[in-house]
Amino acid sequence: MPPRLSLLPLGRPLTILSRPIAAPTARPTIALASASVRSQNLCRGFADDKKAPVDDVPPKVGPNMDHLPHVSEEAAALGRITGEGGPELEQGTPIQEILERDQDGLKKAPKVLKDQVEPPSGPKGTRSFSTSTRRSAALTTAVEDPTVVNLEGSKFGIPEFPLPTENLLKQRYDPVVKQFTNLLMWDGKLSKAQQDMSRILSIIRTAPTPSINPARPLLPSAPPPSHLPLNPVLYLTLAIDSVAPLLRIKSMKGAAGGGVALQLPNPLNLRQRRRKAITWILEAASKRKSRGSGSGQFAQRVADEVIAVMEGRSAVWDRRNALHKLAITSRANLSFYNRRR
Amino acid sequence: MASSSCWRCLLRPQTYASRPSAFLPSTGTTASPFLSRAVTPAIPFSTSSPYNAAKAPAKGGNISRVQAGPPRRGQKSLRIKKKSPVKATTRPPAPGERKAARKRIVLSNTNAVEVQGLKELSPETMVDAQNHGQVLGIPGPVVDQLRAVEAFKTTQAWKLFRQPSTLQTKQSLDLAQQVAKVTDGENGKRTFLRKILTGDKASGKSVLLLQAMAMAFLKGWVVISIPDAQELTIAHTAYSPLRNTEPKQYVQKAYMSELLSRTLRANQPVLNGLQLSQEHPGMPVPLQSNMTLARLAELGAKDADLAWPAFQALWTELSAAPANAPARPPVMLAIDNLAHVMRNSAYRDADFNLIHAHDLAIVNHFVKHLSGEKTLPQGGAIVAATSASNTPLTPTMTLALRQIEARAAGTPEKDLPQPSAWEPVDERVKQVFAARGGIDVHTLSKVSREEARGLLEYYAASGLLRAAVNDSLVAEKWILAGGGIVGELERGAVTMRV
Repeated sequence: MPPRLSLLPLGRPLTILSRPIAAPTARPTIALASASVRSQNLCRGFADDKKAPVDDVPPKVGPNMDHLPHVSEEAAALGRITGEGGPELEQGTPIQEILERDQDGLKKAPKVLKDQVEPPSGPKGTRSFSTSTRRSAALTTAVEDPTVVNLEGSKFGIPEFPLPTENLLKQRYDPVVKQFTNLLMWDGKLSKAQQDMSRILSIIRTAPTPSINPARPLLPSAPPPSHLPLNPVLYLTLAIDSVAPLLRIKSMKGAAGGGVALQLPNPLNLRQRRRKAITWILEAASKRKSRGSGSGQFAQRVADEVIAVMEGRSAVWDRRNALHKLAITSRANLSFYNRRR
Repeated sequence: MASSSCWRCLLRPQTYASRPSAFLPSTGTTASPFLSRAVTPAIPFSTSSPYNAAKAPAKGGNISRVQAGPPRRGQKSLRIKKKSPVKATTRPPAPGERKAARKRIVLSNTNAVEVQGLKELSPETMVDAQNHGQVLGIPGPVVDQLRAVEAFKTTQAWKLFRQPSTLQTKQSLDLAQQVAKVTDGENGKRTFLRKILTGDKASGKSVLLLQAMAMAFLKGWVVISIPDAQELTIAHTAYSPLRNTEPKQYVQKAYMSELLSRTLRANQPVLNGLQLSQEHPGMPVPLQSNMTLARLAELGAKDADLAWPAFQALWTELSAAPANAPARPPVMLAIDNLAHVMRNSAYRDADFNLIHAHDLAIVNHFVKHLSGEKTLPQGGAIVAATSASNTPLTPTMTLALRQIEARAAGTPEKDLPQPSAWEPVDERVKQVFAARGGIDVHTLSKVSREEARGLLEYYAASGLLRAAVNDSLVAEKWILAGGGIVGELERGAVTMRV
């Protein structure tokens, strides 16, 4: 059935309609409200500490908002009362609805329409050929999940919406894992990087439970360390987010006067913060020394570094602290932005 | 750029000779045939001029202006420091440490959850059809024995789980029943099984071989295993010709002594209970008459020169039927990566021809038993597995296996797979498979959905698969694993996607 085309809402903004232009809301304009109502009804700003406005004031009616209904609406209302049927208010009323009201018309209607209004009780007629096919044994033993809604016409049921992010092809990996993998990559060899990532997670999974150093606190919402090794993605995310710097130092050339650069702290967003932390971890890992041979040595070193970050042994923490210290001292320079105006 | 020109006058030094003497410095050392005084050329400009100035002799009275004063261009000059080699602060890895790390087999992960209600492999459970599609743990002593015969491989994911466990598939159930049948014997007589395990990549050939060995250990067999046939044929171990053999055979002493050592470690309890019952004239050293077989194996394991005779003596003892001593147990010969011994080895004979792998003594021993030329009176099995990842082309063996499979499937002789006209036929390999029938070629099939479900439930119970195991998950993982290739199932559920 095609969607109904209703022209009435389209015409609503036009002045020929009797409907009020704006639906009465809990947020009347200042012009309408008296001073006392205004203070009560104005939406609370972010800086106000008053309570939010209460929605008990009756909506105000403006000077030109109490019109009679449209002529067609009036005629339709009258038709409903008398039972004669007035004009169709909506364009594109389906024929089935009209036929339901009009019994004489239904008798003369073509068979297709009759069947749609009153569907026949069962299939009639026979076919000389089969319309069903046999499915392979392996497939028929499949899905009996009661949670899957089986819509008519969908072979395997429809999936639950919204789709989980990992079901989308381009986002099938965890965002942190994906970012880390991309930064591990050299010469565009993604599958090699993925192999390394897999090794890193596998090493984290088999490593002993990390002992957390209280001097290097992790993120406040961190789960207990015993939960971490079996969830290596969480382990990795926690290590990266804990050691990620909040800011970077931006040098404004010549801003300090006499050609001297002024150092200004600049906040980073989540992805930027993680990128910095991953870069630091990879740098520290590449300075480590391999103790084994064969492939997978770099993965071993990166995993060792991630574990060191988690246990507070890594030098990456010092880099973070030094950067934050510098950012705090250069905080005074932020008046630079005000000076320029 | 350092220039040999004088930067004051921009003239090259050799032009001084043709200049009038008035332009030249008053002091000099160079004698010229037409100049009245000796000529001292200006010191050519270079970055080392301050050094020259400093090194100049202070005495002699005749000091030039350049040498006496400060350097013309000041004290500052570019000095590039040579980088000293970085000193290692940590201890470098000891010899062999790197290789040990690469070859290390880890069989337990203390982080993994211990699976509640996990049944263990035992002589009863291994043949029980109820356990089809379930994962069974391998008991600790058997794990030690399997480790001794190097049945675990680094490429398998044992290190992720609490305890080594394997899935009871239809094929492992069949194999267990055969092992049990051989042990029990029919009419007081035991048979000798000859099996070759083939199949797709990651279809579980090596793990089925491991299961066969585990079952043999549980049933009290003696297991002698070549964990990777490649080690024998790629010329990485020493070899020497064997006397009185025709065609010439070659023995690999060091490997044999290793093999005996592994066999001893794995079968110590069984071998300790058996004593010598035969004379061994081939042994170069005298043997005590009441010596245990474990002691005999130890002789060969300790002394590489004794390894081959000791192995022969051990085999004679194992295949003997002593009158007044406990009966000898069945023996399992296991060999993985079979294709490597079905071709020429990388060794050379005295005429610099390649030695066929069947001329290596230990390989010959295995191949004779595989072909059925030799057998064990008290029964046992030889189980050989092919590999799909590191394997040379062996057209003769591949064809022979396909023919055996086709014959087993009831294909008439005229419709059997035929050799390619363009591939050389290895007659010796052909003979192994053609001489006598009776080799059972076992192509590993893919696991069914029910078996996959059992495996996925085990992964979830171990805490490594973080998802609810329902029909849709099983269907997804099973399909993504190529319709039940067990190695791919593991990779998709545990190893690659976390």
